[in-house]
Amino acid sequence: MADLNDISLVTQVAVFHNKRAFDQLVRKYQSPVRRFFLNQTLGDEQLSDDLAQETFIKAYLNITKFKGMASFSTWLFRIAYNVHYDYMRSLHQTEDIDTSSALRTSSTSGNESLKMDLYKALSLLKPDERTCITLQLIDGHQVDKIAEITGIPANTVKSHLKRGKDKMAIYLKQNGYDR
Amino acid sequence: MTDKDNIMIEDFFKQAAQQQIEDNGFTERVMQNLPETVSKSRRLSHLWTLFCVALGVVIFFIFGGWEIVQLGWMGALRMVATSMEVFMQTAPTTEITLNLWVLLGLAAFVLVYLPYQTGRKLSSVL
Repeated sequence: MADLNDISLVTQVAVFHNKRAFDQLVRKYQSPVRRFFLNQTLGDEQLSDDLAQETFIKAYLNITKFKGMASFSTWLFRIAYNVHYDYMRSLHQTEDIDTSSALRTSSTSGNESLKMDLYKALSLLKPDERTCITLQLIDGHQVDKIAEITGIPANTVKSHLKRGKDKMAIYLKQNGYDR
Repeated sequence: MTDKDNIMIEDFFKQAAQQQIEDNGFTERVMQNLPETVSKSRRLSHLWTLFCVALGVVIFFIFGGWEIVQLGWMGALRMVATSMEVFMQTAPTTEITLNLWVLLGLAAFVLVYLPYQTGRKLSSVL
């Protein structure tokens, strides 16, 4: 039903250039998309919002390319992943992003200690591991959906998840989460 | 990794999964930054096409385009009529023998095979 509603909104945007319909789509998906970027940038709110905005603008410009084969959410996450991938490539950065600057900017909203712990834990992961882990454990996507979003083969996704979870388990035990 | 580890990891990420980010003007910012170029250029393209068509129609009537079309049409009709007349006068008068089986085959092709193929293609499209 939700998918049908999305397709109806997408059709209105694609055929009639209905901006109100696109406004509804942005309002509906802003939270998961911005949260996805927050997790990839380890809590850099400003950067996350910029990347999320770029994602929605790209979605708007390419809305006619959405064929409805996958859900709109999967299609949007694929754009978000590509936007983040392009950003990382533009930085010529192959290692994890600068955690100190990211953690510094995340100190403005509530539930601080848990957020700090989450971003610290995520900073231990390689970018692909982080993407797979957050897409599964935070955004609730299945392995095949993660493969579709990232373009990584399903078996490689499983390997990233396994390695990522091993690292997370060690980190959580070291920080007393097993008690 | 044990089941206990899995539960611990899922618990750790559970709260993060429940986190909802307030809009706080994000949607408005996105909507304000949406490029207008797509629809604007399309609108300009439509207006330009409309202008060109209107200009073409006006020029067509001003320079007597209608008379030229009428003359051309009459000339073409006259040419066809003349060709038919010449053909009728010079056509061979020998009789053409018709094979019954060829006629039946042709009738079957038109009445059975063509409707069957058309129906099959239409049903696959619909």
